[in-house]
Amino acid sequence: MAKVAEKQVVHPQLPGGLIPLEEWRLPETSVHRSVKDAIRNAWTQVTTGLSPDDEAFESLDDLPMLSRGQIERFAPDPDYGRIASLLLASVADSQGNNPVSFLVAPPFSGIRKALEVLADDDAAGVRNLIMPPENLLLSDSDASEWWDACDLSTPWVIPELASFWLRHRSGLALVRELLRRVAANEVGDGLIGCSSWCWQFWSYYLPDARFQPLTPAPMDSGKLGLWLGGLAAPASDSGVVARMADTGLWVLPSDPDALGEGNKTANFLRDLAALSRGIPGVALGIWQKALRARPEEEKLESKEQGERQSVRAHCWVAPLNKLSLPVVPSSSGRGLEFILHALLLHDGLGSDRLELVTGMKGHEVAPALNRLLRADLVEYHESDGVWRVTPLGYPAIRRQLQSDGFPVDAF
Amino acid sequence: MGDLDLSGAFSGITTDALLEALFLIVLASIVIMLAQNLLPRVAHTLGGKPRLYLLASVPLLRLVVIVATIIFVVPVLVEPSFENMVAIFGALALALGFAFKDYANSLIAGIVTLYEMPYRPGDWIEVNGQYGEVKSIGTRSAEIVTPDDDVVIIPHSTLWTALIANGNDGTDNLMCVTEFHVEPHHEVSAVLSLLRDMAYTSPWVKTWQPVSVTVRNTPYGMQYKVKAYPLAPREQFRFITDLTARGTEALASEGVRMVSVPVAAV
Repeated sequence: MAKVAEKQVVHPQLPGGLIPLEEWRLPETSVHRSVKDAIRNAWTQVTTGLSPDDEAFESLDDLPMLSRGQIERFAPDPDYGRIASLLLASVADSQGNNPVSFLVAPPFSGIRKALEVLADDDAAGVRNLIMPPENLLLSDSDASEWWDACDLSTPWVIPELASFWLRHRSGLALVRELLRRVAANEVGDGLIGCSSWCWQFWSYYLPDARFQPLTPAPMDSGKLGLWLGGLAAPASDSGVVARMADTGLWVLPSDPDALGEGNKTANFLRDLAALSRGIPGVALGIWQKALRARPEEEKLESKEQGERQSVRAHCWVAPLNKLSLPVVPSSSGRGLEFILHALLLHDGLGSDRLELVTGMKGHEVAPALNRLLRADLVEYHESDGVWRVTPLGYPAIRRQLQSDGFPVDAF
Repeated sequence: MGDLDLSGAFSGITTDALLEALFLIVLASIVIMLAQNLLPRVAHTLGGKPRLYLLASVPLLRLVVIVATIIFVVPVLVEPSFENMVAIFGALALALGFAFKDYANSLIAGIVTLYEMPYRPGDWIEVNGQYGEVKSIGTRSAEIVTPDDDVVIIPHSTLWTALIANGNDGTDNLMCVTEFHVEPHHEVSAVLSLLRDMAYTSPWVKTWQPVSVTVRNTPYGMQYKVKAYPLAPREQFRFITDLTARGTEALASEGVRMVSVPVAAV
């Protein structure tokens, strides 16, 4: 397994490759930063509700934020097709006796999108996409019949297992039957992506089930620098240059060899890695909000569009303490937390299913969702008609759920 | 050893010394009052273990303040010589022994509770048939609040004689038992599995704690017990309500009927 990681560490799209789940470690930060964050979080928890206007994301500095076009240039979304092929190669290298591989990752790791691309890719054309049925409330016999009807003899892929169940007494049958078949070796070559929250629930529900899942290596500061630098690489021949707006210290390139002599690097990436819990999607969300442009650069943007950069693109980075990330609003009941927990367990749900799994009524769910929407904690995805938590809100949501005794993932 | 002269021990008290001692006692009282009012309020804005730790720190903090006050006040009033100390504490012991025996009993038991910790603020305890959450631990007694919002004062001296049942014992894990009494003649394994699924899918349940379902035969039918842990001890009644509602619905959907104990048997 260590060999797999060594081979893939050179790929900026998937730095660190895939590792066994139990080897995953939270990126570390300085003691000073940890203490500062702990005090700030405790204070936020005590004072939440006193100033409801401060719940959503807020920038606390005066520098102009990047326009959409500039974000596309400096910090675009990753190439999921490339990630998919790297995942496939890494899984093939590490596959043991079991023909089915599990890829477990925290939300916003990009596994779901990559596996969907993998199934869509006609050129690769090697994976049969398995999508969940419309009705997830099935009896054991109905679930068995449904899996019988699926073609699992040719290589197949499930981008997200969390879409195959509902936290309801009648909503467990499909996943229970699939895991039984996988354990009994009754299915062919398969690849299953699974949210870490969903995985945690099923690990408790079936404590004896052991499937040795793989997970992307956590983004520590080194990997994060490589990854963020790699994202901007196609738009700029020489990569992106990013410096701290307050101190001028260098953030990107993160490799000391690529910096000129005497140029010092900032601790921004280390703090970003810890704040985002090593999750690339969360780190990218915060990174996009932290990037700043000089006013003159904004004016020049239209001229630059369409022209390929021959020199290094340059931008500034606001310190993390100048970004006020969303916080979970205070509430006397559990409604908000039930909704957030359910959204994480199922990697997104529609309003009707939220009522089913939380036991809340429609007139309770709608105002709660509206409040979470205003706090930048959830967003509605029209493409599949579900609510999901936002990358920027995820660190606060996880912290709040853990503090209030909810079962949380291992990441 | 010289004579133990109580009046001699207090002979050196001046007005300034009295004022200084009074000031220290008032200051200590304010600190204790602030701690007893503010810390529980802050604790209620928190969840999980931080809440329990903060609540448990209140009586300890009070003890520290009381001990510190005594240490500071006594030398202000009397010269802390061996003879004076013996005279003062001897007289104090005599007075307490005769006049405030029960009060002193509770005070001493109160000190014992602080290091033995049979209950702490935030614990759910049952003493002499009274069940509730420990809200505060005073010098002489503890206050619990029952589910019906009654405040029950329990003297610490109860500690010497009564059986004390502690539901969560300083943790945030409190097992709840939900019972279902159903008619026999059904597939027991299916109902066991159904009730386990029902408990696991309740949003109130701690999934990392064990969820177990037991069954036994009774003269009036089958008795199922679902044992699981709520997210927080204070949510135990809402949790049991949720499990009861979900369980009843699940059993009805499977055609398993509930039974009632005949009134004469109750």
